[in-house]
Amino acid sequence: MGKDECKTMLDALNKVTACYRHLVIALGSTSDSQNLREELKKTRKKAQELAVANRTKLTALLKDKTISKDDRAEYERLWVLFSSSMEILEVDMRRSLEIGQDFPLKVPTRHLIQTGMTGSTTTVAARAMSVQNMKYEADASIDTADLKDLETEIAQVDQMMEEMEMKVQVAPWAVEAKQEAGAELKSTVSVGNSSVGVISICEEEPKEAAEGEGDVMRVFAGVIFTAVLLIAGILGYLVINLS
Amino acid sequence: MTIRTLRDHGQHYRPRMACLNKAEALVVEMQDQKNGVKASEQKLNVTTIPHVMSGQDILAWIANHMKVDTQEAQVIGTMLVAYGYIYPLQDHKKLVLKPDGSLYRFQTPYFWPKQKWKPEDTDYAIYLAKRNIRKKGALDVYEQEEYNKLHKWMNHKWDFIVMQAKEQYKAGKERKKADRVVLDCQERAYWIVNRPPPRTHSALDYGIDRLIDPNADEVKKKTLDYYRRIIIFTQQAIMRSRVKSSVSLGAIVKYVTTFKNHDPFLAPCLPSNPWQTDDDTYWELNMRNVEVPTKMRVERWSFSFFELLSDPRGRADFKVFLKKEFSGENLAFWEAAEEMKWGTAASMSEKAENIFKTFLAPGAPRWINIDGRTMGLTVKGLEHPHRYVLDAAQTHIFMLMKKDTFYRYLKSPVYKDIQKKAISPAPHNFSDAQLEQNAKNRKPGIDPIIIWQQEEEEKAKAAAAAGPIDIKKLMQNKLDRK
Repeated sequence: MGKDECKTMLDALNKVTACYRHLVIALGSTSDSQNLREELKKTRKKAQELAVANRTKLTALLKDKTISKDDRAEYERLWVLFSSSMEILEVDMRRSLEIGQDFPLKVPTRHLIQTGMTGSTTTVAARAMSVQNMKYEADASIDTADLKDLETEIAQVDQMMEEMEMKVQVAPWAVEAKQEAGAELKSTVSVGNSSVGVISICEEEPKEAAEGEGDVMRVFAGVIFTAVLLIAGILGYLVINLS
Repeated sequence: MTIRTLRDHGQHYRPRMACLNKAEALVVEMQDQKNGVKASEQKLNVTTIPHVMSGQDILAWIANHMKVDTQEAQVIGTMLVAYGYIYPLQDHKKLVLKPDGSLYRFQTPYFWPKQKWKPEDTDYAIYLAKRNIRKKGALDVYEQEEYNKLHKWMNHKWDFIVMQAKEQYKAGKERKKADRVVLDCQERAYWIVNRPPPRTHSALDYGIDRLIDPNADEVKKKTLDYYRRIIIFTQQAIMRSRVKSSVSLGAIVKYVTTFKNHDPFLAPCLPSNPWQTDDDTYWELNMRNVEVPTKMRVERWSFSFFELLSDPRGRADFKVFLKKEFSGENLAFWEAAEEMKWGTAASMSEKAENIFKTFLAPGAPRWINIDGRTMGLTVKGLEHPHRYVLDAAQTHIFMLMKKDTFYRYLKSPVYKDIQKKAISPAPHNFSDAQLEQNAKNRKPGIDPIIIWQQEEEEKAKAAAAAGPIDIKKLMQNKLDRK
């Protein structure tokens, strides 16, 4: 069905947008590197492909005058999702252009900001590209060469957004959201124990850290307990069998 | 589609915060491996996060690099923290540079303040949603309020915000633990700078829609003195005389109905507007000392005593009437008081002397009849004369004349005579040829200096005539003839 296809494509675009933002945040800092620039480039291209695909699909659906009112409302909602994604992408692309220009990689005295982030962003990029491992094959001057491409791509995105606004008559403020306040809490209950530990470090409360690790300890204790029970059971069975 | 109103009022061309570029250059210089700020590591339970600095190190570096003293370096450092280039790790809501061992870290360039990248509400909503996930619904009070507000008016984007928040959260988990911590701290610091918690204010507050009025008094201590002044002010405000709007509006209506035919905008200028037809009959007819005034002018005198007195022709007419009645001293005194008000400061004491001798001294030749209290005040004031010393007496005389003499004047034969004599010019009707003729025949009017000289001569004559009649001289003449 058209709707489901759209939804999956939008989800993909959403994922790529989020990952792109993470990558741009790392630009200019100590976790910046050639790899990061290449990741940015690849993520960007993927985002554009998805954007174009989404746009053609959604415009086709919205231009169709024979759909029902509910369907149309749903498509308008999807359209708002799409345009918001595109806006965020555009802003991030512009920012990456600026920061990329301010912090070139191949200069003799490289002053990258020491933000404390030292890890690589490979996993984030892999998530964006939906691959297991990233392959890096770019050449050394990617940081300057890429910037020109980036400029053209920003212009393309601008143009696309203008066309979108012109062709499709959707009133974004008339769309009603399906999620209510606090909806993000519901589906992320299984946040995981490790994240609790992460927050506590930020919040200056070492007690929670102990609690976070205590959680791990509890699981561990549970595992050991069941193992002991099993061994006891087996021994008892053997004793009964042998006696 | 967000409706992007360009509300920066052109500031992206002329950035007010030009200091931001300089601050960026400074921060980049701080990164130098050899000459930059010393960085150490932060140890948190199991993870170590590098690139953390102590406040005093930053201070020392700034003082050294910019060659300023400690106090100035402190101010510069606090500025960097307030703008968000450096953020504190402990006590993250207070954006100052503490000159002790408290820890600071640099902010990533994405989160640096730039005037052209305004922090959008969409991003703030996504951040709050992420924080909500992390803290499992236990946001700060002000954050919760903002969250509800944004949910209300960004409702159409809320699906997107939730989706994006979840995705960003999951993408964040892909990184290693230390980086995740740093990311959290960075984002939190950014939003503390750009959406300041209540009762703090942001250093990036600038432009037309800033929250804090820089001209308001800083911390106005409401002392007893302040309250006393406010009380006096309000008491006086209550005591001010007020007029009911029904009364004042009635007065306006009355004024308009009386004067509407005389208004130069509403009624046409008779005989013709000299500026349009180049024919200055209108000015000739309305000169100060014209023999026969126009009917409109005479009618205007009857409206109020003030109108009569302010028109010089009317005043002259009134004077004639008063001479017949032998009560000219009131008007003379009034004119003398006017002269004192508008005259030069040097002649003030001399004039005061004359006025006293002529009008106010007991047994004076032109003694005016004012009540005892006013007389006493005026005489006392004349000892140290100033411009307005005769004000009370003048007002009294004015009211006397208005209430009594004015009405008699209006009923007198003098006035009726002049009413009959007054001319009412017919409106001109020039053809185009005549208009051209008029334009050619334009000539300058009488020089105002000449008019003034004429008036001065007349005044001198009047003064001489009004002087104390020297009986002896008069009788001398008569005796001589004999």
